[in-house]
Amino acid sequence: MPDTSLPEANLPQANKLLEASNVSKAFGNFLAVRGADLAVERGEIIGLIGPNGAGKSTFFNCLAGETTPTTGRIVFDGQDLTRASSEGHARAGIGRTFQVPITFDDMTVLHNVMVGAFLRHPHRNDARDHARRMIELTGLRPEQRARALGTPGRKRLEIARVLATDPRLLLLDESLAGLTPSELHEAIALVRRIHQMGVTIVIVEHIMEVIMTLTERVLVFNQGHVIASGTPQAVIKDEAVIEAYLGRAHRRPPLAPRPHTGEA
Amino acid sequence: MLAGALLLFPIVFPSAFYRDIGVTVLLVAISASAWNIVGGYAGQVSVGHSMFFGLGAYAPALFYTLWGWPLIAGIPVGIALAVGLAVAIGMPTFRLTGHYFSMATIAVAELIRIFTGTWNFVGAAIGLQGPATARGWWDLTFRGELPYYYIFLAVLGVVLFTTAAIEQRRFGFYLRAIKASERAARSLGVPVRATKMQALALSAAFTAVAGSLYVAKTGFIDPDSGFGILVSVQMVIVAALGGAGTLFGPLLGALILVPLQTTTNSLFGGGGSGLTYILYGGIIVLIARFEPGGLFELWHRVVPERWRGAHA
Amino acid sequence: MGGWAQSTMVIVQVIVGGLLLGAIYALFSSGLTLIWGMMNFINFAHGEFVMLGMYVALSVVVWLHGGPAIFSIAAGAALFVLGIAIYLSLIRDVLRGPMLAQILSTFGLALLLRYSAFWMFSANFVSLPDNALSGTVKLAGIFLPVAQLVAGSVAIVLTLGLHLFLTRSAAGSQLLAVAEDRVAAMLMGIRPDRMQALAWGLSAGAAGIAGALMATAYPWSPSVGETFGLIAFVVVALGGFGSVLGSLYAGLIIGLIQAVSAYWLGAIYKDIVVYGLFVALLWLRPQGLMGKA
Repeated sequence: MPDTSLPEANLPQANKLLEASNVSKAFGNFLAVRGADLAVERGEIIGLIGPNGAGKSTFFNCLAGETTPTTGRIVFDGQDLTRASSEGHARAGIGRTFQVPITFDDMTVLHNVMVGAFLRHPHRNDARDHARRMIELTGLRPEQRARALGTPGRKRLEIARVLATDPRLLLLDESLAGLTPSELHEAIALVRRIHQMGVTIVIVEHIMEVIMTLTERVLVFNQGHVIASGTPQAVIKDEAVIEAYLGRAHRRPPLAPRPHTGEA
Repeated sequence: MLAGALLLFPIVFPSAFYRDIGVTVLLVAISASAWNIVGGYAGQVSVGHSMFFGLGAYAPALFYTLWGWPLIAGIPVGIALAVGLAVAIGMPTFRLTGHYFSMATIAVAELIRIFTGTWNFVGAAIGLQGPATARGWWDLTFRGELPYYYIFLAVLGVVLFTTAAIEQRRFGFYLRAIKASERAARSLGVPVRATKMQALALSAAFTAVAGSLYVAKTGFIDPDSGFGILVSVQMVIVAALGGAGTLFGPLLGALILVPLQTTTNSLFGGGGSGLTYILYGGIIVLIARFEPGGLFELWHRVVPERWRGAHA
Repeated sequence: MGGWAQSTMVIVQVIVGGLLLGAIYALFSSGLTLIWGMMNFINFAHGEFVMLGMYVALSVVVWLHGGPAIFSIAAGAALFVLGIAIYLSLIRDVLRGPMLAQILSTFGLALLLRYSAFWMFSANFVSLPDNALSGTVKLAGIFLPVAQLVAGSVAIVLTLGLHLFLTRSAAGSQLLAVAEDRVAAMLMGIRPDRMQALAWGLSAGAAGIAGALMATAYPWSPSVGETFGLIAFVVVALGGFGSVLGSLYAGLIIGLIQAVSAYWLGAIYKDIVVYGLFVALLWLRPQGLMGKA
């Protein structure tokens, strides 16, 4: 991997690949993210869950560089990316996919992926070879037109394309949503393969199966910050997490007994 | 094969009338192909490209009028001015959505046109003239059409060759990515603003050359023929009709529209130019509504893959 | 003493004249800003809507002998219908397409309308024949053409009316809801397509009435559409894309600047100042006085 070096990168390489500290993001008067922290170590595969409107998309966009945090720092492999654009994040080694896949519809699968490949391979032939490898990895056909692909195909194309940028950290934004069970299993297998290639992964997801089977550690977002963190098994039993998802509808008067919520 | 046809055309059709049409086709194709780089490939729709054309036309004429410079010497100045203007416009507008850029191009072109019309130094509303007779080849002033035809053909060749080269390289891929989705392009590390700026600068340079060729041929330039909106419109419609974002689209558009314009002008006489532009407006609306990819796109949709032979 | 008072009077007259014209600018620009705010779309043919309004007014006067109130309403109604028709036949489709198609669509439409008008009405400048608004009136020491005064005042009222309609009425808030968040509006049972068609009708209608009002006080030709279109861009850029109230302030300011520039620098330069202001705005403050970028 090319060395994206700034002076800070010459510090002893910490294990933390990505560290977001006290990140907040305000839109006018509305505070979407409040003091969120996240630390990802090299080689981890982490899940980010939380109810809708909890701020995780905004936080995700801060990590990807699409949004600049109002306060806080984002440090990637020793490099301060807080103010960097999404181009800067990509060049530093962070790749991301989009919730609704954005493919270059007028171009073929091969050309789509080549756009990604050109980041580290400026010459066309190298880029093309690298792209072909990524396409093979994801099981696509290079000569197909992107607009002819269905949604699962587009999701795979996005993944192939961002992989071609040789990211060290991959941010997946609900990339596995809307798939049939067999497609989902293929997708999970693909993500595992990518992880085995050495890519650190952060997944935002709603699908429990993905979280339980793929991730080693889960962070739960609610109301703009992380309310719980731990293994998937531990987190789903956490009371604060349950309350976040089910809401405060069952707030009881102090003397009434608290029933056990047996749900996962 | 096409190249052969273009090369032989003036020999096969020696009449001045046909040769003149040929020269006009080439000139229009050059400016439309230049526009195509930023408007067709990168998707940044400039509707005021005449500003670059006019600069390229005025610079040689101005330096000839002031100091007797050979026309050819003014060409680099025109190019430099155009590129400078491109950077000045691109810097603020490329960080905003595409509509801002389009609006800015109209406004700046109009601004320059009106301003030029009031500035005596550049001839105000009367305009400037080039040399009546050539003092040497460097004045690019010839009797007869033939030299113009081959010079223009050579320049068109350069523009198309450059475009083809771009298509094959990273720059071209990045342009098309930007056109498709800037957001996705950014996430892949594409330097969007810088790439757009380079495309605009290159396009501006070629358009300025087209302007210089125009003043060399007609020997005259004024605010309307240099910076007028109709100059901008012609570039856009020619490229869009043939196929914006394709290599030969602009040439195809020129091959169709220039003879068409000549025909309607002669058919409708005095009211001709008005009707021509009604037609232009109508064609643009139809293209926008039904086939934004132009004739090349139409061809691709209608003719099945296997009949068309290999392509990238 | 007399000379000084006189030149002050002239300046005051210039200022008031500029503000009155600016009010009309505000009216038609509010239509443009409404469309931008709702659909992130720039209508390059908006100036032509104003121009058409002027010719509708002329036609009503010549063929039906209608007075100012009648021809203004006629212009507004005719353009309202035209706006909706254009939305349904053209805009709705290109909104789903590439940027090139979006920009070309109204740009081509502008050419079509402009040169059709040249063909139908010739390039000569025309003005309305004498009617109820002819003549001048003396107000606070300055002379003002009645037409200018009435046109400007009505324009301000209508612009405010549009603002109130959008912010206070049920239909208006539905329009704003679609502008704010299409999906959420759909979930609330609002039909975005209908609202967008309505917006186009209002936008064109405002332009049409503005044109009719302008026709009462100033001569015109088919070429004015291009100028008004650009002025609308400047007003919207200054006032903020999406803000009708912003258009009101900005329109008045632009009218004022234009009049003062014409007075100080000469008529030829007034457009240069205005367009130069536009370019400066794009450079320095694209979000304008009070709008979203």
